[in-house]
Parts: sequence; C-alpha cells; structure tokens
Amino acid sequence: MLLNVQNLQAQVEETEKQILNGLNLQVNPGEVHAIMGPNGAGKSTLASVLAGREDYEVTAGSVDFDGEDLLDLDPEERARKGLFLAFQYPVEIPGVSNKLFMQTAVNAVRDEKGLPELDMLDFDEYAKEKIELLEMRNDLLERSVNVGFSGGEKKRNDIFQMALLEPKLCIMDETDSGLDIDALRTVANGVNALRSPERSFIVVTHYQRLLDYIKPDHVHVLYNGRIVKSGGFELALELEENGYDEIIQQHKDA
Amino acid sequence: MTKKLSPVAQKARDFYLQQASQDDRSWTQKLRQAFAENAFPTQKDENWQYTRLTGFLQHSFAQVAAGSLSLDALSDYLPEFEVIRLVFVDGQFSAQLSSDLAINVKGVSLTVVSGIEAVADNSTHNERLLQEPMAVLASLQAQAGYALTLDANAALETPVYVLNVQTQSNMAATVNRIALAENAEVTVIEHFVSLTGDAVCAMANNEISVAKHARFKQVVMQQLNTQSFYFNNQFIEQVEESVANTFFASLGGALSRHQNHLYMDGDNIESIQNSACIATGKQTVDSRTYTEHNQLNGMSRQLHKYVLDQQAVGVFDGMIRVDQQAQKTDGQMDNKNLILSDTAKMNSKPQLEIYADDVLCSHGSATGQIDDNQIFYLQARGISRNKAIQMITQAFVLEPLEDINSGVVRHWVEDKVMKTLNQVQS
Repeated sequence: MLLNVQNLQAQVEETEKQILNGLNLQVNPGEVHAIMGPNGAGKSTLASVLAGREDYEVTAGSVDFDGEDLLDLDPEERARKGLFLAFQYPVEIPGVSNKLFMQTAVNAVRDEKGLPELDMLDFDEYAKEKIELLEMRNDLLERSVNVGFSGGEKKRNDIFQMALLEPKLCIMDETDSGLDIDALRTVANGVNALRSPERSFIVVTHYQRLLDYIKPDHVHVLYNGRIVKSGGFELALELEENGYDEIIQQHKDA
Repeated sequence: MTKKLSPVAQKARDFYLQQASQDDRSWTQKLRQAFAENAFPTQKDENWQYTRLTGFLQHSFAQVAAGSLSLDALSDYLPEFEVIRLVFVDGQFSAQLSSDLAINVKGVSLTVVSGIEAVADNSTHNERLLQEPMAVLASLQAQAGYALTLDANAALETPVYVLNVQTQSNMAATVNRIALAENAEVTVIEHFVSLTGDAVCAMANNEISVAKHARFKQVVMQQLNTQSFYFNNQFIEQVEESVANTFFASLGGALSRHQNHLYMDGDNIESIQNSACIATGKQTVDSRTYTEHNQLNGMSRQLHKYVLDQQAVGVFDGMIRVDQQAQKTDGQMDNKNLILSDTAKMNSKPQLEIYADDVLCSHGSATGQIDDNQIFYLQARGISRNKAIQMITQAFVLEPLEDINSGVVRHWVEDKVMKTLNQVQS
C-alpha cells in the first residue's frame, strides 16, 4: 500500500477549527482516486495536510506513506520521498526561472535516491524530453515561475514539474478550478501521459467533468471532514446527476 | 541667517569649513557661504527625517595624503572584462594605477582635474546644487575629479571604470563631469570601496549631460565597510530623444545616500533609474530620485528594491514632476522592500506631481516579508526552507539589475550583489 490514512483529524492552526474528522483512505500503487465533495468539506485541507502545510495541525490519526510516517516529515522531505502536490493556486515567483526551480528540485529528489546531480546540459536534455511529451512552450524554462501565466498555463506548469520529478503519489488539489474545457483537456492529457503502475493519483475535485478525462479507479465523497461514501466511476456519474444534496442529507448529523 | 545647529554639528561645520577649498572664485565663495549658513540638515528637514547624520557628525574626516597601493591590492575589486580604468586613492587621482588617459578612440576625451579646478563652475545645476547640503559639502571638500567628454557620434564600447578606494579613515570627495554630444554612447561604472576597516567618508557630485540621440549607461556600486559614509548627488540633464540608464547598488556603509536629480528637457526622452539596496546590522541606506518630465512623450522607469535585515533602516524618496507641457508622459516608479527581521524598518515616499492632463503615471511601494506561499511552493518540490528563502531573496533583489544592458557588466554586478546577500543571510 502506498498511502494509508487512518482516522486523520486536523484543524486550522490559528483558529483551531476542526476540518478533518477522522478521514480514512487507502491508495495502492498505480491507482487513481477521486475525492469529491461540497465546498467546505475538507478537500483542500486534506491535500494541504498531506503536503505538510503548517497552517494545519494534525490532532489525531496517522498517515503512512510508502512505509514511512508522513506526518513526521518536513514538506521538502515528503517531496523528496515522492509526494507531489499540484496546487489549486500555484504562486508566482518572480525572478526565479522555471529552469532554476526545477533543476534544484530535480537534484534534491535525485540526491534522496542516491543519484548524481544533473548538470545544466543534462538537465536541459532531460527537460526537453518532458517539454515535448507535454507539448509545452519551448521557452518555458527561461521564464520566471508562473509569472504572466494564465490559470491554465500555471496548472500545466505544475504537470510539467510532475513529469520532471517523477513522483510516486500525485495529489491534485482542485486542478480543474478556473479552467475551461480546452485547458482541462490539456491538463488531463498531461496527467494521463504520466500514469503508470508505479504512480498513484489523488484527484481532488468539486466537479465531475475532469473525471471524464482522468478516469478514476475509485471515487470517494468527502463531507464534514470524513469520507462518507466510496465507489467506482459510477458514483461520480451519480453525483453529477443528483448533486451532493442526498449524501449531505444522509450524513448531516453524522 | 545661520541655522541653529547642535554643538556636535557646529564643531563638524567648523572643521569642514576650515578644510574647504579656499579659492576666491565667486562660485566657491557662494558654496562656502551656503555651507556656513546651513551646514548640515537636521531631523527637522523633511528630506533627512529618516536619514540621521548623527553618526557622520561624530567624525572629523580629514583630507590626507593618498596611501600607496599596488595594483595587486585592488585585484578583488577590478572587473575581469576590459575597462578603461581610473583610480582615485583617498580622493586623489593615481596615474600609476590607472589606464593611459589618452584614449585611442576618436572623439573621446578623458581628463582628470585636481585642486581648484575640481570645484567646477559654469554649471546648469549650480542653483540646484546649493539646495543640497551634502552636495555643497562635497564640492568644498573635493580634491579631484574626472571629466569624460564624447563628441558627436563617438561610441565608446569599452566601459570606463572609476574606482574610488580609500586606504585609511579620511574624506575623499570627487566632482565629476560626463558630457555626451549628439549620438554618443558610453558605459560608466563607478565603484566605491575601502581597504581599511575604519570609517571613511566617500562623496561625489556628478554632472551628466546627454545630448540628442545619445545613450548614457551607468552603474554605481557602493561597497564600503559597514562603518563608513557615502553621499552622492548626480545631476543628469537629458535633451530630446536621448536615453539615460543608471543603476545604483548599495552593499555597505553605515550610512549611504545616493540621489539622482534627473531633468528630461526635450521630447521623446527615455530614462531608467534603478537601485538595489541591501542592509543589515544598524546600516541605513537611502536611495532617492527627483525626476522632471518637461516635454512631450517622455518615458521614465524606476525600480528600487531593498532587502533589510536585523535593525537596518531603508529610506526611499522618489518624486516625478510632470510639467504642464509634458503631455503623453509615461512615468512609472516602483519601490519594493523585503524585510527579513522583526526590527528592520523601511520608510518610503513615492510622489507624483502632475500638471499635464494626458499622462500615464504610476508609483507604488510595497513592503513586506517573504510570501510564505512562495516558500511552501518550493518546499513542496523538495527544496529546503533555507534554500527556498535564499532563492526567493536573490531573485527579488536582482530584478533591478535586469536593465543593465551589458551582459558582462550585469554578471559582474550580480556576483557582488549575491555575495553581499549571502553574507547577510548566513
């Protein structure tokens, strides 16, 4: 099992508001899990907690990632061990080129694996492969991270980073938010190009639409900080039909 | 009417008066009189509110005989690329350490002035200079300076590199003239360093004139030890269709104040004034600009970035004045400040005074700490927190350098700026 989340409870550090209320989730290598749910359910919180954002405090539960206690690791350590978070709102970092960013990150991950660092030329070659694979712009590397990028371009940049870092577990935090159909399709194509038996995905999304392009193996509904229903792809279609109301009614006072 | 000064300031005034140029030309007399009456600004002066002279006034910086130096001693400072080198040691020109002034490029003339002639007269800027107390002081203390003249169409590809080095605690002031005739072009690098750990005072007055179609490019780098004082006033006059691009880096000094007075007196003028200021400990850095758009279609850009740590104080004051005649002005002034500690302070005063009605002008100032979201983004990609902070801070402070045209010059400046930043962050 790649990821084993047991009874995860977490609150917002500053306000102590409880968001995750005993979440359970198991992800095996090669699987694609979709996490859906109404606003405020805790979807983004889950992604943030797994990635290690300090804004949230874990109050109970455990997370085992590839045999290690994930909650004990700094965000950079988690990334080096193969966890990747594709952000809902990727930030801009003016003056830091995509090249510098990725070369440093790639080498950090390689260092963890005991591999030698890539020098500028090796990195260029390596990156070029991925740029072609994902049909990104050739001048991507020279540009500053996300500066002047449209919402779609920022999301695609995250997918590009995913391709470079070759993570084991990709958590996509509402990647579809703010994207039109074309951008969505492009992002989805990128993700699909990276699917492999060694790679798992947790796709956090509010709308079912993305899942037409990235077909999940398992769909979970998150409500009130815990997973209240799980199923296959049909569950997503059902939610598309009926919305979240029924499920909310069922679990409102749970 | 003599201004009321504290005893310490009075003592300093008397000291510098006694050391001032004593010649009897009318301009020199005017300077002495202005200094005797006003001497030093106090905190009550709006333009010196945050830039305290108390430290400076405790010292009596004397003019001394130049220390002796070999070229080897300067190796850390000299650029690796080819330059025409002018070296002033303790405020006095050193022919021995400098390149041959007889430049073999048509239309370019480089001379050094000393003694009485250093206090140059016949300037368009005399009245303005009298308003600046430290410019007045610099004029009266100057022992030397250089005059660089380019005739029409003269383009000097090799940068002129002026190194002001001080070997001991003293006053080194230079008064310099740069004049570009029509369609001329030059890059000037001015570097201020100290070979001693004692406090020194480096002062300069630069008068720069840029004729039609001429292109003036300049980098000024203040890299004095952290006990020292730096005051520089630049008066830049541009006429139609010229370009002036000046960059200032403040990397040292206990108190550093660099002031541009820039006059866009013609149509279709372009000007860029940027600065990158790094300060820590108890340093104060003050970079300021006064820019006049006086005719049509002027385009001015300014980007001033400060990185302040520990108890450093940063001061920025930028004024853009757009004359009634200056329609279609496009003027932008941006000041961004990164505070790395809880005790650093930034005082920023961007100002616009607009009298024309068809202009595009903006001014902005933003001060804050590093965005946690940016740090987390890098961490979430495997980069350690410390490295993330270093990457972000470096990217932040290097942005104003992007407008330095020459690649080799830019890399040289970047290198020095990054070294200073690394020292601050370690």
